[in-house]
Parts: sequence; structure tokens; C-alpha cells
Amino acid sequence: MTHRISRRTVLAGGAALLSYAAFAPRAFSQEARLRLLWWGSQTRADRTNKVSELFKKANPGVDINGEFLGWSDYWPRLATQVAGGNAPDVIQMDYRYIVEYARRGALAPLDSYLGSVLKVEDFDDVQIKGGSVDGKLYGISLGANSTAMMVNTVAFEEAGVDLPTPSTTWEELARMGVEITKAGKRKGYFGLSDGSGVEPLLENWLRQRGKALFTADGKIAYDANDGAEWFAMWQKMREDKACVPADIQALDQFNIETSPLSLGKAATSYAHSNQLVGYQAINKDKIVLKSHALINKDAKGGHYRKPSMFFSVSAKSSDPELGAKYVNFFVKDPEAAKILGVERGVPESASVREALAPSLDELGRAALDYVSGLGSLVGDLPPPPPSGAGEAELALRSVAEQVAFGQLDAKQGGETLVNEVTQILSRG
Amino acid sequence: MAAVQDSAVAIGGGAQARPAAQGRWASLWTKHGAGYMFLLPWLIGFFGLTLGPAIASLYLSFTSFDLIRTPEWVGTANYVRIATADPKFAAAMQVTFLYVVLSVPFKLTFALLVALLLDRGVKGLTFYRALFYLPSLLGGSVAIAVLWRQLFAGDGLINSLLAQFGIEGPSWISHPNYSIWTLVVLSVWQFGSPMIIFLAGLRQIPTDMYEAASLDGASKFRQFYKITLPLLTPVIFFNAVVQTIDAFKAFTPAFIISGGTGGPINSTLFYTLYLYQEAFGNFRMGYASALAWILVLIIGLFTAFSFLTSRYWVHYDD
Amino acid sequence: MTDATMSSVTAPPSAPPGRRSPVGSVLIHAGLIAASIAMVYPLLWMISASVRPEDEIFASTSLWPSSVDFASYVRGWFGLDVSFGRFTWNSLVVSVLTVIGNVVACSLAAYAFARLRFAGRNFWFAIMLGTMMIPYHVTLIPQYVLFLNLGWVNTFLPLVVPKFLASDAFFIFLMVQFFRGIPRELDEAAMMDGCGPWRIYWKIMLPLSLPVLATAAIFSFIWTWDDFFGPLIYLNDMNTYTIQLGLRTFVDSSSTSDWGGLFAMSTLSLVPVFFFFLFFQRLLIEGIATTGMKR
Repeated sequence: MTHRISRRTVLAGGAALLSYAAFAPRAFSQEARLRLLWWGSQTRADRTNKVSELFKKANPGVDINGEFLGWSDYWPRLATQVAGGNAPDVIQMDYRYIVEYARRGALAPLDSYLGSVLKVEDFDDVQIKGGSVDGKLYGISLGANSTAMMVNTVAFEEAGVDLPTPSTTWEELARMGVEITKAGKRKGYFGLSDGSGVEPLLENWLRQRGKALFTADGKIAYDANDGAEWFAMWQKMREDKACVPADIQALDQFNIETSPLSLGKAATSYAHSNQLVGYQAINKDKIVLKSHALINKDAKGGHYRKPSMFFSVSAKSSDPELGAKYVNFFVKDPEAAKILGVERGVPESASVREALAPSLDELGRAALDYVSGLGSLVGDLPPPPPSGAGEAELALRSVAEQVAFGQLDAKQGGETLVNEVTQILSRG
Repeated sequence: MAAVQDSAVAIGGGAQARPAAQGRWASLWTKHGAGYMFLLPWLIGFFGLTLGPAIASLYLSFTSFDLIRTPEWVGTANYVRIATADPKFAAAMQVTFLYVVLSVPFKLTFALLVALLLDRGVKGLTFYRALFYLPSLLGGSVAIAVLWRQLFAGDGLINSLLAQFGIEGPSWISHPNYSIWTLVVLSVWQFGSPMIIFLAGLRQIPTDMYEAASLDGASKFRQFYKITLPLLTPVIFFNAVVQTIDAFKAFTPAFIISGGTGGPINSTLFYTLYLYQEAFGNFRMGYASALAWILVLIIGLFTAFSFLTSRYWVHYDD
Repeated sequence: MTDATMSSVTAPPSAPPGRRSPVGSVLIHAGLIAASIAMVYPLLWMISASVRPEDEIFASTSLWPSSVDFASYVRGWFGLDVSFGRFTWNSLVVSVLTVIGNVVACSLAAYAFARLRFAGRNFWFAIMLGTMMIPYHVTLIPQYVLFLNLGWVNTFLPLVVPKFLASDAFFIFLMVQFFRGIPRELDEAAMMDGCGPWRIYWKIMLPLSLPVLATAAIFSFIWTWDDFFGPLIYLNDMNTYTIQLGLRTFVDSSSTSDWGGLFAMSTLSLVPVFFFFLFFQRLLIEGIATTGMKR
């Protein structure tokens, strides 16, 4: 008996020993330590880590610890770390979430570092504003992008349809869609993706009508009629087979690999300009970026240069100044810029942009050219989305699907959407 | 350790022999002590690791907690909202109940049938058993999400098979009327765990009972009905309870297949997915905690009911 | 069971469960093979996805790749900052410790619930079942705070220590059900011989419960191997990542993903679990033969 038990003890001891090797804590250093957290792929991580190395070289005695995750895993981990009081010092932020985190006091205001540590004088003014919430600066934009239509050039060519231009109207685009579908060059293939549930697309369309998604004080900025017209436009496209039917569109989880374009169901998709690389990687045919269609020939275009992502500094950081210093290095250092390219979007600093341009590859150049070539289609940056914006986006998607599957007509869709979004925003 | 052993041995053997003078505590110890000794690791874990967080989440359910700021006490407001003003709660409940009712019986029946088949000494048993467990090895990996689209999309494998019979199927996975079925199929397809448990249960049935029965000339079916089934009831009961709890709490399948949205049109909005959206997507951990405790209540009622009825059909050897 | 087992215990190889006409046997195998194809299809697909060109993975529904390239295996293994060998090792450490913890701690608790009489037994049993019902998303943050204060974040401790404290009620409940199936006469006889609970647990319960212990080991290993939410929350340093977390870093749905690498490493990551399963499921069978009294 004793013998048996001692054998178990030995087993447990062995297990403890085994685990010790794995559990051995990281060496604690006396150096200043900076923790970074961002979402993205290994490509982004490689670039980011290289910049961190450069920064360490320029600032001896600083240790940098970078963590990265894919988009969908990123947010629960960040939320848990912030809630537990263990937030990283430098946090990559999205335009939508920066409001949620800043208003709740999780991010450090950076205004006091402007001019001293943060030398972002040559940033577009608007982009500085983009990182501000309630008048304080919480994030430095890492690059700009804009919504765009991803277009499969080969599918257009096969069907003998000319590519859309910056002055293509929705009516014309719908006709192109019909022609591609009719041409029937590929099995089960349609001209367009159904964009009725794509919020940035609706925003673009609303802005052309002089409206917006949200007002500056966080209310809904369009009415049921706008919604009804929007849904009616797509309803007609579905009926004419200009775009994919409801059940194909519903496969789209609004990421690159589930879009009708990548699934080989449609010749267009709606995304952001910095996603071109991702799209091209999983599509055989050449993909190009095109601006969104216009409501009429005289429309001004609803695009804006959107900060694709920010670096923010945690309010709990032990050394926020060092964080700010890192962020500044990241967006201003010419060597860093060459490493980063336009992977996170087109750099905000004019000087960095110029220094960078010659070293870009084809896709990077395409994204840069697209954003800088939008010209008169670009308007003002809308106010940052209010709390509840994420929920409102899901609501649009759900109502769009209800209309597409015939559970609601376009008019009911407009009313339901406005009601739901109003309720969501009032709950905050 | 030695002391424990001694006293433990004392309980079994020499309890009655002990002089009464040792007193009340000793007799209490001999009566209840061994039980608590065996339960000790679990008790430490329960009080040290589980109870605290559970109480915290119960407390949070009466607060408005946005994950970052200090929780604010709101009384029963979260529960009131769930009961009166949350259409998504109702939708999620409906989807979840449907999933429980559809997936659990199918999965258990399938698992039991395969286990019975595999228990019959078929040649190459190990091989089949391993193959049948493959889907369960995949768990909730990203690959499943992509694969399921390949199978159940409009031009997926399932529809090309149906087309051989002249049937034109819809895009099952992305149609609000059918999408829940693709999740049920996924659940049934990953039937490996209950199958293994059934197999282990079948292994524990003494063979001499069958031998006696077949000497008495009992038919195969009668043997199954009179021996296998009754002796297997504890395992059937276990699988039913556990699978039901799991189905109520199911998260991963809907999360990976709907990309976390619960769509199309909330048709795969599992309860825990909604809870997750509220907690981590909309920064309403307080509300999510209230949702969680409602779920605990519902599962608790189901489980209590199963235990109450189990005494009429589950046979234990003790 | 196997015929060999049978013959060693009681009857000749043609004893009841094995007797079947050749036609029936063929039918059974035909059915099993058909079912196997449905079970293996995903694996075949995954392997095919791991060697085909990336721009074909999503748009093509055929199983057959247009061209075969094993580069994604190399890229997947070495492409991340930390090699997949490290993730595999981490997963092995966590999974093996979890198996040990679960089997030891849960069988102790299960024995108490199944066989010992003590005040509050039903109460604790109900509480234990209750712990299965709480969705983990809401206890996550309080638990994170707890482990953070213990200084356990970014180690394997939050993933492993709870297992040694029988935190997984599923296994306790599972073992309780099986322990209760073991004839009581056996422990009563042992008790007459002067055996205490420890001895009965060690000498009678555990040997007779090898099938369920093997089952618990299999599930513990596989579920830990497949788990990603726990590691996601508690492991920050890539050197401590488990396989599932490593796999997730291939995919960022908002930018570029390495799909080939993902499917290649997903395929490879199945190999250890598969062999663990193959090995332990033998215990599920062989364990019985040694006891002599069960088939």
C-alpha cells in the first residue's frame, strides 16, 4: 500500500518537475519594458517586430514584448486584460472600439505629448481628429484607408463588360451586374455582391445624399425613408439578378475569405483598401480597387480617408511617455516606414508617404494610389461612431437579410432598421 | 499520508472494535471523514477557484458592468429587461431549445447504435473506432467552418449528391430556415464522445449474464432488451444529462460557423453566443451575467427533473 | 471486445457476440465503410487544402487539387516567430498534466460520491453538477483576476492546476456513473477482509474501472488539445502558446491569412491526438481482460 502511494507521489513529483521547465517565469529585467498588442497576421507581426528592434537599438535599455492575434480573438483577450488591470502599454485600436475604450477611461490621453514626444505636425489635421474622442487625443492613426469595391477584372473581361469608373452610377453598376450574370461565363456566377447589409457601403450612399450613419452627438442620422430606398435599390438588383441571391450573400461573414468574390460567386465585393493584399492572396484572378458607385452623375462621392487603425496607450501604463515615444517612432521614422509599407494603410505623414512610395510593391502601390487618387470623391471624416455602433452594424445586417429573404419588404425594412438602431443607441 | 491510510483502514475494518472512550469526534470522523478526505481536492478547487468567480458573476448580474469601469449596482434591472424587453433573448432561447431538442436525441441514438455495432466483435474494430472518432478530434477548429461551407453551401457536396436524384437543394448553411440543421448535423457528426462512453459502458456488462441468457435460449433482441439496455441505463442517463447540458451551453459551433454573428437573421444565435456578444461585443458584462444565471436556472431545472425521473428507469448495482 | 479476450476467459471464439453469417458480416462492413467515408472526408479535404494553391481553397469545391505543393508544411512549421515544435511541446505538457490531474483528482471525488456515505453527500453532488452549468464566459474575468493576483497569468498554471483540483465536473459525474455499476458485493467482501476505503479505491475500483479511466484520459487529452479559449486568455507570450493558439495566428480575417499553413498545421496537429486515442482506446478493451470477471 505504502509502496503504491509512494509511486503515485513519484509520478506527481515527476509531473511537477516536467512542468517546472515550462512554468519557469520569464527573467525579470530592470529595463523599461513595453508591452504591445495588435491584431493581424504573421506578415504584420514580422514588420512590427522589426520596427521594435529598430526602436530598441535607438533606445538602449528598453525591452519590447509584442503579442498579436487575429481580429476575432483579439477583442476578448484585450477586454479580459483591460478588465483585469493587466492591459498592454501600447494597444492597437480600431476606429469603432477606440470610442468604447476611451470613454471608459481605459486609454491615456496623448494631448500633453503633442509637439514634444509626438511629432505629428505633418499629419492631416483630420486624421488627428479621427483619433480624438470628446476633444482629447487617444490614438495615433497608423495609416489611412478607404472603403472600396474589390473588382474581379477577369470576370468583367470575360463577360465583355468595361470596368466601373469613378463616375459610374448605381444604375450603371446594376446594369453591369446584370450583363455579367447574363453572360453566364462561369457556373452560378453573378455580377455583384449584395451590399445591402454592408454598413460602410450604406454610409457611403448616405453621405452622397448629404446624410450620415450617426450624428456627432451619437444619434441616428438617417430616417426610415432612406432605409427603405436603400433596401428597395438592392431588392431590384436581386430581382434583376444584378447581384447574388439572399442565400449566397448570407455566406458572407464580412471577411475576406467568405465574401462572394472570394467564394467565386460574384465579380465584386465591398471592403477596405488595405485588404487588397488579402483578397489577391486567395483569388486567382486579378483584383483591383474601385470607388463606390454614385447615386447620380453629379453626386460628390461619399468616401473619406478613414484611419484604418490606431496605436493607443493604456491609461494604466507605468510609462505612458515611453509608449508615446514608441508610437511616434512607428509613424515617423523613415526606416520604420519602409519596413511597415502600407500594410496597415497609407501613412498619415506626408514626408513618410513620399519616402515610402518608391519602395512599394505592386499591390501596395495600388492601395496607395487608390486612396490618394480618390480626389473629389473624398469628403470630411464623420464623427467617431458612438457606443453601440457595433450592435447597430449587426442590426443592419440582420434587417438586410430579412428583406433579402422576403420576411420584410423594403419599406418595413427601413422602418425596422431605424427603430432598432435608435433603440440600440439610446441604450448606449 | 500514513496517518490517512491508518484511519482509512480503520473505517473499513476496525470501526466497531474501537473503544467507545475515543469519543464523539472520532466516531464522526470514522463515519464522515473518509468521504471528505476523498473529496478534499475537489473541495479545495471548489472553494479556491470556482466559488469566488461564480459569486462574482452572480453579483455582477445585479450591476451594470462594462468590463472597464467599476460595476454599478442596478438591482434587478438586468433580469427585468431580460423578462420584458429583450427580443433577442427570446430569439436565442428559441434557437437553443430547438438545438437541444434536435441534436441531443439524434446524437445519442446514433452514438448508441454505432457503439452496439462496434461492440459486436467486428474485425478491424480498432480501425473503425478510430475513424469514427476522427470528426470529434477536429473539435471546433477553423477548418470545420470552411469545410461546413464547402459541404452545405448552394453548390456544396451535399447538393451535388442531391442533384444526382434530381433534387435542387438550397444553400443550407446560409438560409435562415435550414442553417440550424447544419449545426445539428455537425453535432451528430461529432458523436465520438458519447459513443466511447457507451462502448465503455457495454464493456462493463459481465459476459456471464449473456451466456446464461443464451443458454436459456433468449433471442438476441431479448438479450438486448433484458440485459444490455437495463445495465446500460446509468450510462445512457449520464450521456443524456451531459449532452443536454452541453447543448444548452453550445457555443463554438455557432461561433465558428456563423462567424460570431448568429446569422442569418439570428437563426443560429445560440444562447451563449448572444451572451458572448453582449459581454465582449457590446461591453455589457453585467447583463451577460444575468443571462448566464437564467441559463443556469433553466439547465438546473432540466437536470433536477432528469434526476427525479431517473429513479424510475435507471438501474444501479447498488 | 475481441475474440481473443473471449476465448481466454470462457468460451470458444464462436461465442455469442461473435457469431454471424458471412452475408451479415459483409453488410456490416459495407455499412461501416460507407460511414467511415463520411467521417474521413473532412480529413481528406483538409489534407487536400493544405497542399493546393491558396487561391483555390475557397472557390473550388473539388477534393482534388490542381497542383500539389508541400511548401505550406514548411512555411507553417517555421513561418511563425516560434516554431510549431514549441507549440506542440507546450500542448503536450498541458494535455498530459491535464490527463493526470483529471484522472487522479476526479476519480477520488467520484469514489466518494459513488461509494462513501457521509453527511452532505447529495448536497455536494448537486453543487458539483451545478458547476457544469455556468457558461464559462461570465466567470472568465473574475477567474482571470484571481489568477492574475496569484501571479499565474502567462504560465500553464491556470490551465493545469484546476484539473488537479477536480475542476472538471464532467469527469467526476462520468466516473460516478461507472463506479456505481461495479457490484457492491466486491467492496463489501473487501471490507469484511479489513480493507479500508483507500485500499478498496486502489485495489478494486481503479482496476475495475479501466475502461472509464481510459475514456477520461482520452477525453481529457483531446479536449485540452483542442481548447483554445483558456490558452487565448492566459497565455500572452508566443513561447507559451499551445497548438490551437498557434493555429489561430495563421488567420486574421481582416488582413492576410496563411490558409495553406493553417491547414497544413491543422493536419499535423491531429497526428498526436490520433495516436493518443489509438493507444488509450486499447486500454478501454484490454483493461477488462485482466480482471477476468468481465468480458
